[in-house]
Amino acid sequence: MSTFFDYLIFPGFLFSAVFGMLAVYIDRKVSARVQWRKGPPLLQPVYDFVKLLGKEISVPEQTSVFTFLSAPVFGLAAITLVSVIVWNAMLVPGKTFIGDLIVVIYLLAIPSIAVIIGGFASNNPIASIGASREMKLILSYEIPFILSILTVIIKTGSIRMGDIVTYQLANPAVITSASGIIAFIVAILCIQAKLCLTPFDIPEAEQEIIAGPAVEYSGTPLAIFKLTKWIMLFVLPSFLVALFMPSADFLYNLLKFAGVLVIIILIKNTNPRLRIDQAVKFFWTYGAGLSLIAVILALIGL
Amino acid sequence: MDLILYLLAVPFVAGLVCAVIPKKQRLIAELLALAGSIAVFLMTFIIFRTNPVNFQLFGLELFRIDNFNRFLVLFIALFGILVILYSTKFFPKTDKFSISSFYYTSVLWSISAALGCVLANNLILMLVFWGFLGLTLYVLIQSNSPDSKDAAKKTFIIVGGSDCLMILGIAIIWVLTGTLQMDKIFLSTADSTLALTAFLCLAIGAFAKAGAMPFHTWIPDMAPVTPAPVIALLPASLDKLLGIYLLARISLNLFSLSLPLTAFLMFIGAVTIIAAVFMAMIQHDLKKLLSYHAVSQVGYMILGLATGNPVGIAGGIFHMLNNAIYKSCFFLCGGSIEKKTGTTDLDKLGALAGKAGMPLTFAAFFIASMSISGVPPFNGFVSKWMIYQGLITQFQNASPKFQIIALVCLVAAMFGSALTLASFMKLIHAIFFAQKKNEQKGEVNWQMWLPQLLLAGLCIVFGVFAFALPLKYFIIPSLSAFNLQLSGNLIGFWQPELATMLLIACIIIGIIIFLASFSLGSVIKRHKIFIGGEVLPENQRVTGVDFYQTIKEIKIFDQTYALAQKKVFDIYDWGKAIVNAFASALALMHTGNMHIYLAMSIMGLTILLYVFLGK
Repeated sequence: MSTFFDYLIFPGFLFSAVFGMLAVYIDRKVSARVQWRKGPPLLQPVYDFVKLLGKEISVPEQTSVFTFLSAPVFGLAAITLVSVIVWNAMLVPGKTFIGDLIVVIYLLAIPSIAVIIGGFASNNPIASIGASREMKLILSYEIPFILSILTVIIKTGSIRMGDIVTYQLANPAVITSASGIIAFIVAILCIQAKLCLTPFDIPEAEQEIIAGPAVEYSGTPLAIFKLTKWIMLFVLPSFLVALFMPSADFLYNLLKFAGVLVIIILIKNTNPRLRIDQAVKFFWTYGAGLSLIAVILALIGL
Repeated sequence: MDLILYLLAVPFVAGLVCAVIPKKQRLIAELLALAGSIAVFLMTFIIFRTNPVNFQLFGLELFRIDNFNRFLVLFIALFGILVILYSTKFFPKTDKFSISSFYYTSVLWSISAALGCVLANNLILMLVFWGFLGLTLYVLIQSNSPDSKDAAKKTFIIVGGSDCLMILGIAIIWVLTGTLQMDKIFLSTADSTLALTAFLCLAIGAFAKAGAMPFHTWIPDMAPVTPAPVIALLPASLDKLLGIYLLARISLNLFSLSLPLTAFLMFIGAVTIIAAVFMAMIQHDLKKLLSYHAVSQVGYMILGLATGNPVGIAGGIFHMLNNAIYKSCFFLCGGSIEKKTGTTDLDKLGALAGKAGMPLTFAAFFIASMSISGVPPFNGFVSKWMIYQGLITQFQNASPKFQIIALVCLVAAMFGSALTLASFMKLIHAIFFAQKKNEQKGEVNWQMWLPQLLLAGLCIVFGVFAFALPLKYFIIPSLSAFNLQLSGNLIGFWQPELATMLLIACIIIGIIIFLASFSLGSVIKRHKIFIGGEVLPENQRVTGVDFYQTIKEIKIFDQTYALAQKKVFDIYDWGKAIVNAFASALALMHTGNMHIYLAMSIMGLTILLYVFLGK
C-alpha cells in the first residue's frame, strides 16, 4: 500500500505534477523576464490544464483512435515511475533496487516513444516528420548521455541510485571532480534535447512544422502530453541532481533542482534552433567527444 | 531413453508420411503435421519435468538431459506448433508455385533434428543433427519461390562450410582428450594452441548458425526470397537457440576461456550489434530489415555469455529465448502483411493500424517492437538489463585493460538498443501509419493471428513475470548446468510486476482524466488532418522509409554504406573471389594442348615417385 502512496501521492504523480507545474511556471516567468515581459501568474499552468480538459477532442480521420488517444497516457505513466525512483533514491537511499539506473534510462525513453507513436497515429505528414526528428534526436543524444552517466558509475562504483547518492553524501559530490563537471555539462545538453527545448526543439519547431507530433492533438490528450512535458521538466533536472550533487536534505535538493532548471531555461532563451543534422553532428562529435574525455578522466581517477 | 527415441522418431515418421500424402490431400498432411508437433510438445514437457540424466545407447552415452537443454526442447516444440499452424493458412491454395507436401516434412524433420542436436551428448551425433538441419533449411528456403536458388546456395555453403570447420574442431578435441562425450570434456584455451583452435572452429560453427558477424551474410540474403514462416522457424528461432546453445556449451562446459578470448568474443558481440543495426536502419524491404535485426540481437547474447559472470550468462541465455520469441513473432507478422498486401516493400505499405486494416497484427508487431527495443516492462528489457549488469560486474572485477573493453561493449549495447528502437519506429510508421488511401484489407485468418498474438503475449508475460516464471523455472536452474550460481537473492532486483502495477495505476489516472474531461462537456470528433490549410495530393506522402536519410548522409556513414552495398564486408564474396582466382589460375593451364597435359602428368609422377620411394 505504501508503494501506491509513493507512486500516486509522494514522490509520484501528485508531487511531480505540482512541481512540474511549478517548474513550467518558473520557465515561463524567467523567460518573460529575459524578454523584458511581466510573465504569467503562479496558477497559469493549472488554468491551462483545466481549460484543455473542457475542450473538444478531435481525432483525425482514418487512423487508430485507440492508439491516438492512449499514446499520451503511456508517456505520463512512465515519467511518473521515473519520478518515484529518482526521488526515492534521494529521500531513502536504502530502499532502491540494483540496477535501477538502467531502468530509469530506459523508462526515460517511453515519453519520447509516446510522442513518436502519437505523431505517427495523427496520420499527418507534418506530424510524421516531427516524429522522425524526435527519433533522430534520441539517437543523437543517446551516446553522450550514456557516457556521462557512465562517468558517474565509474566515480561511485555502482549502478544503484541509492548507492550513488549515499556515496556522494559520504564523499565529495561527483560534480566537484574534473570528470564530473565535464559529464555534467554534457548531461545538461542532453537533458535540453530530451526536453525538446531550444536549441534542440527541432521535433516541435513551431515555425516550420507547427508543433510536429502534437499538430493534430487537442483537448484532453494534448493536456496529458503537456502534463508529461511539465513533469519531465521537473524529473530530468532532479535526476541530474541525484546523479551529480545530491544532498541529504530534501529542501537543498529542491534548491539545486531549481538551479539546474534555471541553467536550462537560460540556455533555452539565449540560443537559436539547430537543424536536425547539425544536432546529430553536434552530439556525435562534440558531445560524445567531451563525455569520452570525462570517462577517461574518471578512469584515471580525476 | 525410450522417450528421447520417441521424441525424435515421432516428427521424423510424421514427416515421412507427409511426404507421401498426395498434394491434393493437403488438409490431411496439415492435420498430421499439427498432430505430430503437438505430440512432440507434450513429450518435451515430460522431458522438461525429468531430472538431469544420461542415456545409454549401443554402450555409449549418446543423449543427456540437463538443466540447460531441458527447457530448450520445450520451446523448440512450441515454435514448431505455432509455425505449422501458421503455415496452414499462409500458403495460397491455388498458386502454381504453392508448396509441395515436402514442406511439412522438412519442417517436422527440422524440429526432430533440432531436438536431437540439443539433447545429444556426443559431439559427432550433435554434428549429424546439426548438418541435417542445414539440409532442411536449404530445402525450406526454396519451398515457395523460384528465385531463391542463389540465396539457398549461399546459405548452404556458409552453414555447411562452417560444419567442416566444426569437424576439424571435434577431431582436435578427440586428439586432445580421447573422448567425444560432451560431459567428460574439459579443456583450457589458455595453455594450449590446439585447444584454442578447436574452440575457434566450434565457435565459428555456432556463429554461422546463429548469424553473428562476419558469418551472418546468408540471413539478409535469404530473408527477402524465403516464405515468412520458414524464416520464423529456422533463422529466427531454432538456429538462434542452437547456435547460442552450442556457444554456451563450448564456452562454459567444454572449454575454460582465457581472458583475451572472452574479450575477443565480447568485441565480436559489440560489433555485431552496432554494424547490423546500422544496416537495418536503411533497408527498404520489411523482411530484409527484420533479418538484419536477427543478426544484431545475436550480439547481445554473445556479449552476455562472454561476460563469464552468472548475471551476464543468465541474461545472455534469457535474451536468446526472448529473441526467439519476438523475432518469430515479427516474421509471422511480416508474413501476414505480405499475404494481405502482396508486398514487403516499405515504400508501398501503409495505413494498416486502423480498424479496417490489421489491428491484431499491429498489436502483436507493436508489442514485439517494444520488446526488442528493450522498453520496460517487456521481456527484452529484463534480459538486456541483466546483460548490462553482467558487463558492469565484469568492469568492476577486471584489470584496467579489460575494463575499457567492458565499457565500450556496454556503450555499444545501450546505443544499439536506441538504434533498434529507431529502426522499429521507422517500420511501424511505414507499415501501419504511413498516409495511404484506406484499402479494406481486413485481418488474416485466426490460424495466422493466433500464433502472432500468443508470441506477443509471451513477450509481455516473460517481461512482467520475469522473475516469477521464466527466470525461476528456465534460466536460473540452467546455470547449474555450468556449475554457476546467481549470487545473492532476487529481492533487491528490478520488480517488473510492481512496476507494471504502478504503470497500470497511472494509466487508470489517465482514464480518470479523460472521464473528467467528458464530464466537463468534452466530446470526441473526427476531423480532416491539418497541413497548413493545404490539401495533400494523394501521391505525396511520407512513408517513413527515408526517416534516417540525414544520418545516412553523414560522410563517414555514406562511405561505409556504399562499401557495404558493394558487399565488401561479405565473407562469402571474399571466399568466392578467392576460389575464382584459384580457378582462373588453374584454368590457364587447361589449354587443351595434349603435350602440356602429358608433360604435367609425367612431372607429377616423378614428384610422387620421389616422395614415396626416395625415403
